Amino acid sequence: MAQIPEVYVLGGYQTDFARNWSKEKKHFVAMMREAVLGALKETQIEPGEIDVAHTGNFAAELYSKQGHLGAFFLEIDPAFSGLPTSRHEAACASGSIALLAASAEIEAQRYDLACVVGVEQMKTVGPGEGGDFLGTAAWYELEAKGIEFPFPKLFGKLGDEYDKRYGLKDEHLAEISTINYANAKLNPNAQTRTWYMNYDHAMSRDEYNGSIGGRIHISDCSQVTDGAAAMLLASPEYAKKWADRVGVPLESIPRIKGWGHATARMRFEDKVAESRDAEYILPHVRSTVTDAQKRAGIADTSGIDAIETHDCFTTSEYMAIDHFGLTAPGESWKAIEEGVIALGGATPINPSGGLIGAGHPVGATGVRQALDCHKQVAGQAGDYQVDGAKNVQTLNIGGSGTTSVSLIIGT
Amino acid sequence: MLSSTPVAASGKSSDLLSSRSIKHVVVLGANGAMGLGSGALFTTAVPRVTFLARTKEKADGGLAAAVKMVRSSTVASKVDTGSYDDDFDRVVAEADLIFEAVTEQLDLKQQFFDRIDAVRRPDSIVATVTSGLSINQLAEGRSESFRKNFLGLHFFNPPNVIVGTELVAGKDTDPKLVDFLDVYCTKRLGRAMVRTADTPGFAGNRIGFQLLNECAILAEEHGPILVDELVGPYTGRALTPLATIDLVGWDIHRAIVDNIYELAPDEAHETLKLPQYMADLMAKGVLGRKTGGGFFGKDDAGDRIVLDPKTQNFVPTSHLMRPDLSFIDEISNLHRVGRYVDGMQAFAEASGPYAAIAQKVIARYISYSFHRVGEVTDDISGIDRIMGYGFNWAPPSVLVDTIGLKRTIQMIDKAGLPVPPALANAQEGTTFFDDPQVDVGKFFVAA
Repeated sequence: MAQIPEVYVLGGYQTDFARNWSKEKKHFVAMMREAVLGALKETQIEPGEIDVAHTGNFAAELYSKQGHLGAFFLEIDPAFSGLPTSRHEAACASGSIALLAASAEIEAQRYDLACVVGVEQMKTVGPGEGGDFLGTAAWYELEAKGIEFPFPKLFGKLGDEYDKRYGLKDEHLAEISTINYANAKLNPNAQTRTWYMNYDHAMSRDEYNGSIGGRIHISDCSQVTDGAAAMLLASPEYAKKWADRVGVPLESIPRIKGWGHATARMRFEDKVAESRDAEYILPHVRSTVTDAQKRAGIADTSGIDAIETHDCFTTSEYMAIDHFGLTAPGESWKAIEEGVIALGGATPINPSGGLIGAGHPVGATGVRQALDCHKQVAGQAGDYQVDGAKNVQTLNIGGSGTTSVSLIIGT
Repeated sequence: MLSSTPVAASGKSSDLLSSRSIKHVVVLGANGAMGLGSGALFTTAVPRVTFLARTKEKADGGLAAAVKMVRSSTVASKVDTGSYDDDFDRVVAEADLIFEAVTEQLDLKQQFFDRIDAVRRPDSIVATVTSGLSINQLAEGRSESFRKNFLGLHFFNPPNVIVGTELVAGKDTDPKLVDFLDVYCTKRLGRAMVRTADTPGFAGNRIGFQLLNECAILAEEHGPILVDELVGPYTGRALTPLATIDLVGWDIHRAIVDNIYELAPDEAHETLKLPQYMADLMAKGVLGRKTGGGFFGKDDAGDRIVLDPKTQNFVPTSHLMRPDLSFIDEISNLHRVGRYVDGMQAFAEASGPYAAIAQKVIARYISYSFHRVGEVTDDISGIDRIMGYGFNWAPPSVLVDTIGLKRTIQMIDKAGLPVPPALANAQEGTTFFDDPQVDVGKFFVAA
């Protein structure tokens, strides 16, 4: 079998996740446009050079009553006329699925330069209606219909399962929240960068930090926001040409070194039933992480310099810590207490602030995570730079641990 | 030497940060919006913040409002409260930073500075949040150590949301203190700092209130609704000009423009003169939103009413006809899909009497801003930063870049205003805005 070509990551652009595009009275195409044109400007690439385009988006049909998001690329620039486009959906993992599709096409040598944009406009509706829309990422009829804010409740159950099997303390979840908010203050694109937060607040239980689903309080949640992120992926041929043009060695350009992708049953209780006797609560999440590492030729997480994980809730990051193998199963609290996951620790998690701090515009998240990995390994992460980062890994999860995708971006 | 370039970027920021320590802040005027908001902000970086007001009850009220403002009761765990009579001398003597946020009156502030000077430690910092009074004048007659450690730290309201902050040194302020506070506020308080000269209204209010007052003058002939639509969100702002004056309060607006009009006569002098109709209405108690209405309000039935400056009466908005403003609709539709360059080029090229009014206001904003370089800040970046981070308006450089250099010059020229040399001498293709951390699209609102 011929060797599979490398997929190079040339760079990208993220919109400011603190923006409310409904208040700006804008259509989501404005967001796509800013992200894509920003990525082109950042990488000094002309629109006419792009061979193929992919959009990751969860639920524009619900939030904006609009489908067919791939085709909106043609509203960005006249040079995109005739471009092959498509749209990808896998709930909160939509952005990563779009990246996987684009990288597979480059590996198959169909195209040399792909543009991927993840986009979600969520502030078009109020929190109740939006919470109901998000319920469609679970099995709506069985897990979400008629339930106020179904997802915090599902990820509350993940915490309950940890508690049952291993024990779980609120203090550790509060620490996860505190770290993400603190990191977000260093990220000029983070939704919460000006928000008031500290450990005591994350531990408080009054009207300003009420429960919205069992053990999940407001400070445990990532927040609804609007945002888009775009990236440019290239074949070795294009990357070589580009490297010469911008005056950098090809070896210095980050690549997608490994990927993992797995799906578990839709309902949370079916997942938990399946893993009753397993080591990990969400075995498919674990295999997603290890598959990516195997494909990258990295033995385990000790070869990863930082992680951008899916902390839609503090319990999902708590789960990620042991599923990445930073601790034995059920012992995530040790990595928190020992400072492993903090910025400056051995394996910082979410230097960007993650979903909790940077914001979670659903369809954009997977692309935003990958872009942050690129920024880290390219040394462009500014105040949230992890010194000397060479390999950074994502974990992007759709639903209640249903679709998992992990990418390793490194030099 | 002024500089709007954050010292933080120079790599010396950690040395600077450790050059002083702030463990205790005292806020004077902690029952007012600026005092309590700033006090809450300090609790994010400082273990102890003391809220002082005329009575302890008022200071407690300020703390309760601060908790509500940032939506966290943990603010209270770092705050103690007290009164000027009972606690001032003791806590001011203990403080590392004394933050003065009392009512914007020169004589009142001077009384407070007399008391501070008498009891403060020689190394403590004294900062005033004045939005326009002269730092040098406020420092007059104070001890040498006071003057050395005194400066303006102008947060914008509400400080938990708006990060733009002006840092104003007086002639005797220790330059090392200015460098320290620049980095401290950037790194510890998340501020976007701009160093400005000690000129009336500093940078932000000088430029911002010029535009606001020009709109108030235009309202006399054209009415508030039309003016707010002409210089509306599509020209690069979230809140319309006259609604902004209603929000900040007519009294504050007057204090700022009177101060600039009196002390800084410049090429836009007449546009900074408070319109007579506003003075007349203020004499009758109209102060904007805080008195139930200004340019805009509601009648007893809850229906929207608007001021008719000619008659000084309020009339129902439903009776007013909108003239043909299709050029605004067209530009808004372009902004809505992210075509800001097309939108602002259409703006510069729009024809007709109404377009000419809007173009003149925006042309003056650009011209006025560039003409203030060297007077209020060292470079246009400082003005851009405060207009963007402080006012949430499209900074002048963003407008030039978006409209295009040649079109901008033509627009300024057509309006009969002076073309700034920095624009006249630039090559076509030059870009002026230089802050990569700002999504400029956010300024162009589709309405």
